[in-house]
Amino acid sequence: MRLIWLALIVLALPSSAEELSAKAWLENMSLALKGQEFKMSLIQLQADHIRPLVYIHGKVEQQEVAFLEHLNGPPKNAVRVGDTVTFIEHDQPAYSVQANRIQGVLPPAFAGDISVLEAGYQFVLGGRSRLAGRPSQLVRIIPNDENRYGYQVWLDMDTYLPLRYDMLNLDKQLLEQILVVELIVLEEAPAILHEAYKQDWPAIMAQPTREKGDNWQFKWLPQGFKILVKDNHRLIGSHESVEYIALSDGLANISVYVARAGDTAMPEELMTRNGLSLATERVGNAEVVAVGKVPAETLTRIAKSITIE
Amino acid sequence: MDKLGQEWVSAAVDGEVDKQMMAELAADTDSHEQWRDYHIIGDAMRGELPKVLDLDLSANIAAAIENEPTIIAPKAAPQTDVATKKLANVIPMFKQFGQYAIAASVALVAVVGVQNYNQSPEIDASPLPVLNTRPLIGSASPVSLQTGPVQQNQSFTNDQMMEQRHRINTYIQDHMLQQRLNNSDKIEDNSDLVPVPVNH
Repeated sequence: MRLIWLALIVLALPSSAEELSAKAWLENMSLALKGQEFKMSLIQLQADHIRPLVYIHGKVEQQEVAFLEHLNGPPKNAVRVGDTVTFIEHDQPAYSVQANRIQGVLPPAFAGDISVLEAGYQFVLGGRSRLAGRPSQLVRIIPNDENRYGYQVWLDMDTYLPLRYDMLNLDKQLLEQILVVELIVLEEAPAILHEAYKQDWPAIMAQPTREKGDNWQFKWLPQGFKILVKDNHRLIGSHESVEYIALSDGLANISVYVARAGDTAMPEELMTRNGLSLATERVGNAEVVAVGKVPAETLTRIAKSITIE
Repeated sequence: MDKLGQEWVSAAVDGEVDKQMMAELAADTDSHEQWRDYHIIGDAMRGELPKVLDLDLSANIAAAIENEPTIIAPKAAPQTDVATKKLANVIPMFKQFGQYAIAASVALVAVVGVQNYNQSPEIDASPLPVLNTRPLIGSASPVSLQTGPVQQNQSFTNDQMMEQRHRINTYIQDHMLQQRLNNSDKIEDNSDLVPVPVNH
């Protein structure tokens, strides 16, 4: 009997040492995205769009340097050196913003503090599968409520780098997917990153101080959503002045606008197939518009719950 | 079958016998097998053998027909209601309101440049220049638009439709732009502070 117990313990120990919690997997991913040197070829699928991209990440003189290139269509690149992201696009002069991730590939939260996401999501380990020729572990990021979408990410078992990322709606239908087709782990930062590091990029766009917005409050916000920014700016195309509030739960970002109602009514709810929704609530002669990658019902509820103090 | 007979067949294969002998050979069914074997040997020597050596085609076909199972046409499987279920999924999504596709050309987030709105004189008074950028990835592609019942009742003119789309795009564009600007972790720490976030 004792022998059987001993045998069991011996068998159990090595496996339990390897078992990581789902959160630990995500934390390892966050470290890997920040610290490793690699080149990824990936495709981004969104409804009827497929975009092939290359992402290179490394460190030059202790600074993170990353390069993102669109492979199809007109040249569209982004370079990040430290906390400065420069967008180089064919139709406008290059410009820089301050950001610690290149926005658009994977959610910036994946390289951030994972525990921030715990207010709105649960992490659950899934099965293992093979992606980009590598064994990978599935980690599901399951929303705690119906106010946001779910995510799942497959992590390379060697490097913890993400190999696939899915955004799913409440019916588990795919809204967006990022699929790595090739992952090359590099020994050192490739020449292109060294070059990017040396290059003089445009200075971070001088943005005048944002005017502090009115004290907008929400009677209801989904668990985990916080107000990031409140301000008062003009919309790009229409020059319309709006009160702006940015909300985020770490993964999902919502913009809420309060503006004078236009002559043309906005649709009450609008959904796009890549998950972006828009909801409008008319209050007197004002219009509250909420935009974000969450279910339209959530946006409607948020727009209805806004108050001013 | 004696040796002489074999030689004779061999000669026939090489075409070294006359018609009469050929007829005799045709009548001699015992020699047929040999006739075939000699031909195969000849083919092999000339490298003309087929990939699959079917020694007795006719016999094989006969056997195959014999072995063929009787085919009983299976009844068409009854239509599962999976498809209908899927459909049912779609309908509530649109809430049976009117829906119409936005022309992709209109709906695509327009190309905009980095501009400073101070350039236009009427806005000079306002100290609010707008950073005009286009998101690197993730252009919005509205596919279906559900309009509220209120709008359903009104018949929108084309201009109004265009105007509405324009406004939708404006908001979506601004949302995307804000994603770029609010992309720094540091904002979170400053959310409640009066001073403006670090990156602005």
